[in-house]
Amino acid sequence: MNAIDRTHRLPWNRRDFLRTASAATLSALAAGDPRRILAAETEEKIRPTADTVIVLWMGGGMAATETFDPKLYTPFEKGLESNRVLSTFPSIDTSVDTIKFSQGLERTAAVMNRGTLIRSYTAGDLGFILHSRHQYHWHTGYAPPQTVAAPHIGSVIARTLGPLNPAVPAFIDIGQRFDVGEGEELKAFHQAGFLGGEYGPFLIPQADQAMASVRPPHGISPDRFENRYQFYKKLVAESPVGQLGSDYQKESLVRSLDNAHRLLSSPAAKAFDLSREPRESYDRYNTGQFGLGCLLARRLAEVGAPFIEVTTEYIPFKNWDTHDNGHTRLTDLKAMIDPPLSQLVLDLEARGLLNRTLIVLASEFSRDMMTEGRPDQQVKDQVEVPNVIQELKYYGMHRHFTAAGCVLLFGGGMKPGFLYGKTADERPCKTIENRVVIEDLHATIYRALGISPKLAYEIERRPFYVTRDGLGKPIQEVFA
Amino acid sequence: MRIIATLASLVLIGNPCVVGAAEAGKLPEPTGRQVDFHKDVLAILANSCAKCHAGGKQKGGFSIDTRESLLKGGESGPAVVVGKSEQSRLIELVAGLEPDTIMPAQGPRLTAEQVGLLRAWIDQGLPWEQGFTFKKVPSASLEPRRVTVPAPAAGSKSSNPIDLILESSLSSAGVKPAATSLVDTPPVASDRTYLRRVYLDLIGLVPSPDEADAFLQDRSGDKREKLVTRLLDDKQQYAAHWLTFWNDALRNDYRGTGYIDGGRLQITDWLAKSLADNLPYDQFVRQLINPTPESAGFIKGIVWRGVVNSSQVPPVQAAQNISQVFLGINLKCASCHDSFISDWKLADAYGLASVFADGPLEIHRCDQPTGKFAPMQFLFPQLGSIDAAAPKPQRLRQLAEVMTRSENGRLARTIVNRLWARLLGRGLVDPVDEMDNPPWNADLLDYLAGDLADHGYNLKHTISQIVGSRAYQLGSVDAGENSREDFVFRGPLVRRLSAEQFVDAVSSLTGIEYAPPAVKPAALITSGTSGSDEGSKANPVVQRASARASLVNADPLLIALGRSNREQVVTERPKTATTLQALELTNGTPLSTLLEKGAKKWAETADEPAKLVEQIYRRALSRTPSAAERTLALELLGPRPTAEGIEDLMWAIVMLPEFQLIY
Repeated sequence: MNAIDRTHRLPWNRRDFLRTASAATLSALAAGDPRRILAAETEEKIRPTADTVIVLWMGGGMAATETFDPKLYTPFEKGLESNRVLSTFPSIDTSVDTIKFSQGLERTAAVMNRGTLIRSYTAGDLGFILHSRHQYHWHTGYAPPQTVAAPHIGSVIARTLGPLNPAVPAFIDIGQRFDVGEGEELKAFHQAGFLGGEYGPFLIPQADQAMASVRPPHGISPDRFENRYQFYKKLVAESPVGQLGSDYQKESLVRSLDNAHRLLSSPAAKAFDLSREPRESYDRYNTGQFGLGCLLARRLAEVGAPFIEVTTEYIPFKNWDTHDNGHTRLTDLKAMIDPPLSQLVLDLEARGLLNRTLIVLASEFSRDMMTEGRPDQQVKDQVEVPNVIQELKYYGMHRHFTAAGCVLLFGGGMKPGFLYGKTADERPCKTIENRVVIEDLHATIYRALGISPKLAYEIERRPFYVTRDGLGKPIQEVFA
Repeated sequence: MRIIATLASLVLIGNPCVVGAAEAGKLPEPTGRQVDFHKDVLAILANSCAKCHAGGKQKGGFSIDTRESLLKGGESGPAVVVGKSEQSRLIELVAGLEPDTIMPAQGPRLTAEQVGLLRAWIDQGLPWEQGFTFKKVPSASLEPRRVTVPAPAAGSKSSNPIDLILESSLSSAGVKPAATSLVDTPPVASDRTYLRRVYLDLIGLVPSPDEADAFLQDRSGDKREKLVTRLLDDKQQYAAHWLTFWNDALRNDYRGTGYIDGGRLQITDWLAKSLADNLPYDQFVRQLINPTPESAGFIKGIVWRGVVNSSQVPPVQAAQNISQVFLGINLKCASCHDSFISDWKLADAYGLASVFADGPLEIHRCDQPTGKFAPMQFLFPQLGSIDAAAPKPQRLRQLAEVMTRSENGRLARTIVNRLWARLLGRGLVDPVDEMDNPPWNADLLDYLAGDLADHGYNLKHTISQIVGSRAYQLGSVDAGENSREDFVFRGPLVRRLSAEQFVDAVSSLTGIEYAPPAVKPAALITSGTSGSDEGSKANPVVQRASARASLVNADPLLIALGRSNREQVVTERPKTATTLQALELTNGTPLSTLLEKGAKKWAETADEPAKLVEQIYRRALSRTPSAAERTLALELLGPRPTAEGIEDLMWAIVMLPEFQLIY
């Protein structure tokens, strides 16, 4: 795979984009796509520090005190008071003196000196917890319902920056299936909203099935596939409709099919084929679908996919949604993310791409043994927590905690080995310094890409800001 | 991209929910660059000045509606000295040089940066966007208006009132080259084009080969009228088709957000029955506003678990949705603060929302409580009052009555405009949800609205009026050439098949039912099949109304083709093809499965290749293949067609613009 030219988009130049953009994108632009509105203050060009974003999504609520913000370790014993337990694992050192992790994240600890850790991410106060609603809020910056369909951050980036490589979808979403509980709620934000379908996610529900997304349908050989397309082209040429002259709708259809065909037969499509990855490397990533998703993300970033999200997959009560057995399950979850996460950082670094690729590991909120919601405004409990723990299954962070959480940032202009934000060492372990809300986190991601947080698109004759009300403020301190 | 010079485009820049930071100081320096009126200046004027000095308001005799009025100044003299910002009164005031008379008088002070921009603007000659004005678009009138249909002119080819109104307004408008086309060129669409168009428009299906033959061979002069009558009489197929339109508008879906917590209700059975029975539109609206349990889902809205922004609590959702769908009024802005793009106020939105509330509904501005309450009333209180003291069911009944009073001309105008837009590709008023925009033919809009009311709000009457007009029957026109402004009607626009039409058409072609229906509304269950195909028993067209694509759950193919997710009210589907959609058509499982199964079925007929090709063409495109097409297809199939070959032939045909577009 040849590295793609990453310089043409820096600084973003509309004319270049138009020259390389797909025809369908062009026609979409011409056809009353939502108009881009810039506030005066954004006139000065923001120099981007990244051209690619990889979001690693810890769907279900990743407990900070069991991962990247460990507190006092209290080992399990029968009769333990629940309220005494802050962390169920000992802490470990990382490559940064001031940062400790929870045990089980040794490899990531070793690469912490390449990234920034935010411990003060504070989720929205949305009342009675619904994971998918918080995830919607995280991914769009807006809490549903909304009067207009809020676009996913990946769609905003796809719409605003366009593709790095016209043969690779601008927004790729890896690892989430939708035939699960809350599937409808998940679908509601995995979309481009009012920005239009052109900017929607290219969905790869299972990383190991990625090739199915870019190869001919099952049962159709490549030769037959090509033959079928050539036959179609001949039929179009013979169609009496075509002979009456061209029309806009027809052009739009024919060109979109051209694009699809180009994408499917492009050399870049090989990036989707994990069987092309050297065995050793494949094995390093392979902790399951998420690990392979990270590998796929790396391969796609290499060929110029500007926004990729890989999720551990949100399924109610599964993965990070630990309503029980938190300790045991966290051991497995950390084993699932630690190797591929660290490998992704190292591989991108080795390829010279880490400085242009922003990795964002995040979750919709954190978890706690006692607090549901935030300490000063607890919400309706969903998890039974005994006062005294007699069984291992109660040992873990089982409630949904919104007052602090961790976000890991690597590359893309982030300060190496940097810690931002602070949480209390005693329960409630809430944010006590440098609170970060979703608007600011998005603004930081946008800032890295050279996009203003005040950028707005016109919908129904009003502005829709890429951060809520244009209020997002990039966290300046995390930039190198 | 075009810059629209209206008040609307400028409020986009500033955000009414954001309070800026005030900053004290002396006269800030002018910005050291060329300023852009649209990008730099409008936001400041709109946010900080317009409230008192624009849109007809001129506090202190000063108005910034136009460049001229701004130059004229106010009671205290000229506001600006062009080229000399340091001598301009406006700058002195906004910079706060006189502590007692700082502008804006209310709200946050301008920042030094903003003052600098205004200074540079004045220094650079006060550039103004041509034609721009702060004056608001006047609201459309509420009352119905009687339109006298002109007598046919000599040589007129139509006696349809729509055509007579169009011809008369065109001739009185003087020489418009495209205008005469209605009478002369382009000619009306051919029978075959009309047949396919009217089938797709009225019942959402392509005609079967037999139906096509019967129509094409019919020599009677009124065969188009007969066809329209027959299609509209096909109650179930009509209902199955229009269900999609109404599902989008009323955001009715078979699964979706909210259902997990009981925060949503389907109205499918009620809707299908209403459409099959052709429930008069005024009753239809009344039953949605003042519902039975079967129709309660629309005003219930979508309730997500947790705390919801106050502009999206269920009563406010209901106010927004009935205003948008039934009146073409956008109350979304006014649900958060007084609208900047219309005259609707926060109190108007809350006044209407209170009708749906179970208790007093405190006004929230930008999600902050105000401690105030709006008087409960309809947006147009002149139509009738609502008794705030009455229990909710009674209030809903009153609201339903007020909404559908004959004095409310907007109700009929909004729906006839939607029908026109559906059938001809663009509304008389555009976009269809902004009914305060001027129509391109007010007589026609008002006529159709009055005609609907006169005919008992019978939507099928209006549909048949429209599709019977010569205007509808004209050859189709390229959609890309139509800009929003300066629209000239030349004929129906080329339109894409909806996701549901596409899937149903492929089902017709393959004889394979697409997917199991998610719902089985009683009104659509039928014992027999419609559109059965005598000529090909081996491939009966599976097209029962109860098996239509409008009844299945959203899936990747339907979504890619533009099926709405029904989280918001949608009244117009996307009009352009996308790459993701083309990918789904090229290698997605739903379509390839359908074609694969269908091809196997076709292969079993063991027809000779030429006959097979002809049948497929007739099924898909309602015509026989040309010689060149036949040759190509036979080449592909070979002497002994395999299922694979047939599948590829069908794939290529359903990819054709001719298949995917309504001409």
